Amino acid sequence: MKIKMEKTTIVFNAIGYVIITILAVLCLLPFLLIVSGSFTPEMEIVAQGFKLIPKQFSLDAYSAAFSSPKQILDGYKVTVLITLIGTMLGLFLTSMAGFVLSRKEFKYKDKLAFFIYFTTLFSGGLIPWYIMMVKYLDLKDSYLALLLPGLLSAWNIILMKNFMKSIPESITESAKIDGAGEFTIYLKLILPLSTPGLATIGLFMALGYWNEWFLANLFITTESKFPLQFLLYKILASAAVLKTNVAGNLSPDFQPPAETLKMAAAVIATGPIIFLYPFVQRFFVKGLTIGAVKG
Amino acid sequence: MKSMFQELNRNKVLFLMIAPALLFFIVFSYVPMVGVYYAFTRFSFDGGLFGSEFIGMKNFEFLFNSGVLWNLTKNTVLYNIAFILISNILQLLCAIFLSELPGKLFKKTTQSVMFLPFFVSFVLVGAFVFNLFNSDNGVINTVLQQLGMQPYDFYVHTAPWKYIIVFFHVWKGLGYGTVIYLAAIMSISDEYHEAAKIDGANIFQRVRHIIMPMLVPTFILLILLSLGGILKGQFDLFYQIIGNNGMLYNSTDIIDTYVYRSLAVNFDIGMGTAAGLYQSFFGFVLIITVNFIIRKVRSDYALF
Amino acid sequence: MKRQIKTFSTLLIALMMMVTVLAACGSSNSDKEKSTGTDTSTDTKSTDTAADTGGEDKSADAGKPDTSKKVQLVWYLLGDAHKDTPKVVEEWNKMLEKDLNVTVKLNFTTWTDWTTKYNLLLASGEKIDMIFASSWADYYKFANQGAFMPLDDLLPTYAPETWKSVPEQDWKEATVNGKIFAVPATYPEYTPDGIVYREDWRKELNLPEIKDLNSIEAYLDGVKKAKNVTPINGKAYNEIFTMFKSYNNYQQIGGDSGVVVAKSYDTPRDIVAYPFTTEFEQWAHKMKEWKDKGFWKSDTLSDQKEAGDAIKTGQGAVYWRNAPGAGGYIMGLQTSNPDIEMGYFPFSRFNNLTMPTLSVNNAMAIPKSAPNPERSLMVLDKLRNDPKYYDLMNYGLEGTNYSVDTTDSKFIVSPPAGTPKDDKDHTAYGVASWGYRVESMERVKQAGGWPGFDALLEEFKSQSKPNIFAGVLMDYAPVKSQQAAVNSVIQQYGMPIMMGLVPDVDKAIANYRKQLEAAGVNDVMDYIKEQANKYFDSQGIN
Repeated sequence: MKIKMEKTTIVFNAIGYVIITILAVLCLLPFLLIVSGSFTPEMEIVAQGFKLIPKQFSLDAYSAAFSSPKQILDGYKVTVLITLIGTMLGLFLTSMAGFVLSRKEFKYKDKLAFFIYFTTLFSGGLIPWYIMMVKYLDLKDSYLALLLPGLLSAWNIILMKNFMKSIPESITESAKIDGAGEFTIYLKLILPLSTPGLATIGLFMALGYWNEWFLANLFITTESKFPLQFLLYKILASAAVLKTNVAGNLSPDFQPPAETLKMAAAVIATGPIIFLYPFVQRFFVKGLTIGAVKG
Repeated sequence: MKSMFQELNRNKVLFLMIAPALLFFIVFSYVPMVGVYYAFTRFSFDGGLFGSEFIGMKNFEFLFNSGVLWNLTKNTVLYNIAFILISNILQLLCAIFLSELPGKLFKKTTQSVMFLPFFVSFVLVGAFVFNLFNSDNGVINTVLQQLGMQPYDFYVHTAPWKYIIVFFHVWKGLGYGTVIYLAAIMSISDEYHEAAKIDGANIFQRVRHIIMPMLVPTFILLILLSLGGILKGQFDLFYQIIGNNGMLYNSTDIIDTYVYRSLAVNFDIGMGTAAGLYQSFFGFVLIITVNFIIRKVRSDYALF
Repeated sequence: MKRQIKTFSTLLIALMMMVTVLAACGSSNSDKEKSTGTDTSTDTKSTDTAADTGGEDKSADAGKPDTSKKVQLVWYLLGDAHKDTPKVVEEWNKMLEKDLNVTVKLNFTTWTDWTTKYNLLLASGEKIDMIFASSWADYYKFANQGAFMPLDDLLPTYAPETWKSVPEQDWKEATVNGKIFAVPATYPEYTPDGIVYREDWRKELNLPEIKDLNSIEAYLDGVKKAKNVTPINGKAYNEIFTMFKSYNNYQQIGGDSGVVVAKSYDTPRDIVAYPFTTEFEQWAHKMKEWKDKGFWKSDTLSDQKEAGDAIKTGQGAVYWRNAPGAGGYIMGLQTSNPDIEMGYFPFSRFNNLTMPTLSVNNAMAIPKSAPNPERSLMVLDKLRNDPKYYDLMNYGLEGTNYSVDTTDSKFIVSPPAGTPKDDKDHTAYGVASWGYRVESMERVKQAGGWPGFDALLEEFKSQSKPNIFAGVLMDYAPVKSQQAAVNSVIQQYGMPIMMGLVPDVDKAIANYRKQLEAAGVNDVMDYIKEQANKYFDSQGIN
């Protein structure tokens, strides 16, 4: 019997390693190309396309991107701040909502779930939402404009509900019998048991905030409040425009930044987050949760 | 009415806990939703939302009269189905492997690496794709030539692009989706695995009988969540990869790119909203139907 | 229960406090400015009246502009700020406060999604006092839909100098439905399309001078064969399409009218959809030949590369530019690739015809909801006519961003004289100031100082005829669904034909025509004919 198990395990592992490695390589390769591209002189890319190892090494793209270090620093500051606060608050609100929806005895849970989900189906479009933000909430050029819209999303709430549903009821039952109220159950029992779910949603929220540029584009007009991704998109957009008809109107000594700049921008924006993920990973450890609490 | 108040009172805390979320959606989603009315008006800056002239279904005409709506809808739906199914299945598989394979360092590295495509913006993906497939010095054609074969003019033929597009969509979301499934697997109590092992189950059996069933709710959930958007496309994906190449539109044009092109010259708020409404409505009907069916089969898998 | 609610609320409050602090941080600046803006100081009348008009004439009937209230304006320009912009704006505000008791917050849309943003700014009714407007930013459409404030009554009182100095024709071009909705920049430009090409190769290969379609073909052919490069290496659509229009003297009507054009400048009322003409068939066949000869690549429609970049790496020879753009490109090349010599062929030479750009090619407009239009106009007036203001906002701070040219004090030198050549910190100061340019006040040469430009300008002026097409007001409302469908058809079927990418040209053209008709091109054409004829009647054009 022992031998039989080992054999199937070996087969399983073999298949697993192969598939995962192939996928990992497919994911890594393009990214490597981008990193190498960011260190290549522009003209080499134009002439020869992307390569894994550049013939000539150049820091031009990075010096163009960092041409205004204060801006980049401000960008990092804003982004980090918004990401931290947004993720914490958002996670708190999302997990509470998910918890409520996961409570079996709660009569309104399905109706509320639909209420929340419906928002992903229909939308009035950009203009009414913009008017709400600018006219009624007066969020023009405010940090709140970057923070609020990303706090909650139907997708996250429903996902969170799903994670919480997998926690056995016996635990909550016994707590209720002991006289614990809903919020205490949430805070002291469910949250600690939902670490994989929290880590997942938290990661998604953090990524969402980190990558956010659209909100800044629409609402922020003060340069020092631009988040990082937006700064980089701005540079790319200037490059794109200068190649169109509009360019005829512009001062002819505008030098459009280039392909390599796009890549350097991607590396600068992504870099820090890549280091976040391994940190978050440790929450994905098996058996951390359920086994500990026995009825 | 009385029972609702009783219920409210009994679950005061629960309602309070979900209140911020409800408020959020009312302010940011429901109130702006009145803007859907634009789809039926001819927008004027003086009138704003309610003062603009009502023109009935006229804004929808450019979609319905164009003759291509069927093809666009078909493309959009088929691509989305491929995206949803292939992505989810692949992510599920990866999650299973990543949770069961030995070798912590290997797993940690590969997981992080699989996340990388998520950060590559579609603009770069487009450039990258062009580099691979272009007829001049594209990587694929260079390799073909080195092997003594004829180079293939990718950008003139419609056939390969279905696969290329699906590949890149799946590629981009791989790491992201796998994490969700991984988290779900982690919530499976060790007890189940221990019991199974004692009973002599090998790993394939454990996967089939323990992990898979526990993942079915998540799998169905993710599919349901995506269904509402069945007619909405990944605009960036298609636009950056295909660009303005009309020769490829027959098999790669989706509703979003079509609308974008139509309105590019003369941006019209009414028509844009009308297109969005068409997409939303379809998705709405679909999800209500599917959810209803699932509810009949197994009610706790349903979305609502 | 109570205890729970307490814990819950404490947590929530703690987090909310963090959020409020964030919000407070963000808005503290703007609050400060807002408060100074709204306080109504009453007794500064005496100092103001002396300073405000600075000796300009006032029209007899309107009263003296009142600058007793301190006001904060919000302006929007297109594009990005320069890193020195905050300093420049600070100086500007100091001057404005003294002269007009006003300060301006200058905002930029940046180039990211600027059309969306521009639409949103106007549609949302935000409090904006002045915004850049242009025929290429849908000026006519917005004016017709009521986004801007009519200025006829305000101009004589609040911007008298500008009102007097801007030519009648310019005001006419800014008029929509009988009212003026923007102040056009006074900067007559000629921007015909054309191509820059490698002149050094032409000479080397002894190819004929480029002066018509045949010589262009000979050049492309020669370069391809001898140098083994793809002459138009990259996105080639613009090169071919603009050449097509100019060669056949097709005139677009009222902006981009898609496939409906006037057959020639001299026959403005002869309006057709060009895919149905024999000229189009001939052109399509020729383009197929050109494509087969390898003048551009088969994936050109998906290629994002600019042909101009390929020239820099020695892999291309031709690039589409309009005249000022050509100047910029050629001057740029002199630094990056000094060994390459470039020539320029403007397409105006096909038919010896140029038209000046519309006055509202660059202009400044006031949105409907502006709280202080009068004061805004006064600022604009100063900006356009007072050299101190003009130089500051257009060129930056003297000494930091530019210095006066020692050889001809009318012009300036940027970066300032004495800057070491490889000093990377100095980028030319510029903001999207085209909306208020005034030719007589300019201190830099057009087209980046390209010496060849002066001669070209003379040539253009000599061939210049009034622009009778651009002013036709088109909002396409009755045919907008057909127009959208036609646009899509053009992209899907027309572009590949134009680039010679279809296997069977005649079949493709037949199909294209069928698709156009199905999309409703005839309705669109009828609409355009109607609008055009109305316009021509009113202008007395035959």
